[in-house]
Amino acid sequence: MNIISNMKSSLADKRASYQAMDSRDKLNYWKELLINNAMYILIIVAIIYTQAKNSFFLTPDSIVNIISLSAANIPIACGIAGCIVLTGTDLSAGRVVGLTACISASLLQSVDYATKMFPDLPVMPIWLVILVVIIVGGIVGWVNGFFVAKFSLHPFIVTLATQLIVYGVLLMYIMINGNNGQPLSGLDDSFKDFVTGSVFSVAGVPIPNFVFYAAIVVVFMWFMWNKTSFGKNMFAVGSSPEAANVSGVNVMKTTILVHTLAGCMYGITGFIESARIGSNQAGTGQNYECDAIAACVIGGVSFVGGTGKISGVVLGVFLLRIIFVALQFLSINQNLQYIIKGLIILIACSIDMRKYLVRK
Amino acid sequence: MKKKLLAVLLCGVMAASMLAGCGGEEQTSTTPDASGSVENTEAAADDVADAVEGTGVDLSSANVAVFYYTYADTYISSVRTALDAKLDALGVKYQNYDANNNQTTQNEQIDTALAQGANILIVNIVTSGSVDASQAVVDKASAKGANLIFFNRAVEDEDTAGDVLGSYDKVAFVGTDAPEAGHMQGKMIGEYLVENYDTVDLNGDGKISYAMMMGQLGNAEAIYRTQYAVEDANAVLVEKGKEELVYFDASAAEDSRFQVDQDGAWSATAANNYMTTNLSQYNEANKNMIELVICNNDGMAEGVITALNTAGYNMGYDDEGKLQGTQIPVFGVDATDAAKQLIADGKMVGTIKQDADGMASCIETMVENVASGKALTENTGFEADPEIANKIYIPYGVYTGEAE
Repeated sequence: MNIISNMKSSLADKRASYQAMDSRDKLNYWKELLINNAMYILIIVAIIYTQAKNSFFLTPDSIVNIISLSAANIPIACGIAGCIVLTGTDLSAGRVVGLTACISASLLQSVDYATKMFPDLPVMPIWLVILVVIIVGGIVGWVNGFFVAKFSLHPFIVTLATQLIVYGVLLMYIMINGNNGQPLSGLDDSFKDFVTGSVFSVAGVPIPNFVFYAAIVVVFMWFMWNKTSFGKNMFAVGSSPEAANVSGVNVMKTTILVHTLAGCMYGITGFIESARIGSNQAGTGQNYECDAIAACVIGGVSFVGGTGKISGVVLGVFLLRIIFVALQFLSINQNLQYIIKGLIILIACSIDMRKYLVRK
Repeated sequence: MKKKLLAVLLCGVMAASMLAGCGGEEQTSTTPDASGSVENTEAAADDVADAVEGTGVDLSSANVAVFYYTYADTYISSVRTALDAKLDALGVKYQNYDANNNQTTQNEQIDTALAQGANILIVNIVTSGSVDASQAVVDKASAKGANLIFFNRAVEDEDTAGDVLGSYDKVAFVGTDAPEAGHMQGKMIGEYLVENYDTVDLNGDGKISYAMMMGQLGNAEAIYRTQYAVEDANAVLVEKGKEELVYFDASAAEDSRFQVDQDGAWSATAANNYMTTNLSQYNEANKNMIELVICNNDGMAEGVITALNTAGYNMGYDDEGKLQGTQIPVFGVDATDAAKQLIADGKMVGTIKQDADGMASCIETMVENVASGKALTENTGFEADPEIANKIYIPYGVYTGEAE
């Protein structure tokens, strides 16, 4: 009840302040509103346009497809968002996904698969594999965070280095035991069912299980960001490390934790991708960080630092995915697709930065 | 104190990693003699004249550098494994380089190797089919008088055949005839369809609608495979009085009847994402189904099959050895172990085999030729291009699982 009355009064306030404006201010108000929400308006226009051109775009099949493609990218985006809140970035994300995907696949190949990487290894319990990939991802994240915090190195440099290191480890990993760089496939049914299987359907369309795992990740990350002192410290460090330090926040510990958590998220992404794609090789995960960073920025997690919401990240992932799918539904020329994607990222970032420039 | 300890530790790690890195890359079996290596290069140059006296193979002077376009490529990894084993067995000093899909990186690596006295360059060029890129490599080698063996990726296209390979006397190419894979794949698809037309034509409209997964834009192999797989399949179909293939997406422009990995990585991920989105729109419920999927490589085919499996197609054999549910034929190229397994499981129809071992043994023969002062392309056991004698072709082969 309280909330409703609050909303009512705030709406009334807004209306009153709007009516108090003169005509020029009113025009300005609408202009600002349009520009600040340009991304959403664009998406709505894009959805309507695509649906008009191709009536399959909004069928249950297609919507579930968009949701599941987005869900696969949500953990990595939620992880990387923390690094961006600290005004940093993480270039190693994609390669960590690749490494953890290959580790998951190698541990969960079915026992009768002819070219199994570890022929004598029984199919491992799934919870153990999840634990392993989270730890592997977490270790890389910890290294990232440690070097960023301890030596005040820019995350760009640190993660550039770890990206290369992880890639090297990945290349070595897929060469071992006579696997010789062949793709890791032949996954055990229990693994495939766990990730891509489906427990329930909407409108006759099965929803893959990993959508729910992504939802769990979102809830967990929302809790971490909003309900823990870790989250509050993260935003404080992101806004101003000096101020955070003065007010008693352990900047080093916070930075390391944010990166470690991000690494764990890449591990989860790797685990899901492993079964979702079904074929894991050295190239798996390449450039995943690009889409994830773009999604965060579109969703309002700013490189300025200290701002961003998990809901924004999720929205960003969805918006980006809707555009990718719409381009495919519209049979847009491949060359043009690069240009359109580039423009969208550029516009989204500009709108985002504009808010801060206006404030100043 | 604590800080100093950390600094010392870091330095230690750095030193260790550098040592490990060098140790890993340098695969020396015999002690090289720098002065000897230069002399022998000259001896090898006067090939035919010295061939008679150079009967004893002198491998100690050979300094081999192998440049791979990327370690991430599945097929190239199998060539690398085979070639490493053969060069080890030969007892020759060699070093591997990974260009990580970047021509600039590769050129710099070649400069470095030449500066270190490499006299046999084995190059898997990054920019395939470009005369400019490969000519630059030839110029580097000829400036130092080094032998040059290109392999796998095309160094020139059809219009410029012989331009690069004819420009230097110590160069050879070992590879596949790039269009051949496309032609073979097309013929295999055509023949399969003629035999199984009614089963494949799910909606019974007398036409087969296909999807095409392209590995990379602007790559000669990818372009040929994309083009000829469809053209040759059509040729077979028309000959047997069937309709030509129809691209599944009627609104696609004629020059973009394919879905390409936008990262140019020929990846299973890209193919999987495309296929799941395709299936959300084209499925049996909508009476407009993709009835055939052609892929530029097996990695993409795997991604497509995972997507099909998730949607309930191509579920493989049941306990009684019968195929379950609806089958969408999927074709690839490379014959990777994973693809062979999929074919054995009944989830994939066919692929084109690239002979990694054959390619490696052909390169090995060439290295031996150089060391013993013979002509580069002597006795390789493989056929050369009818017009360009130093262009050796390793034949492709059709693989549908029956042969083995």
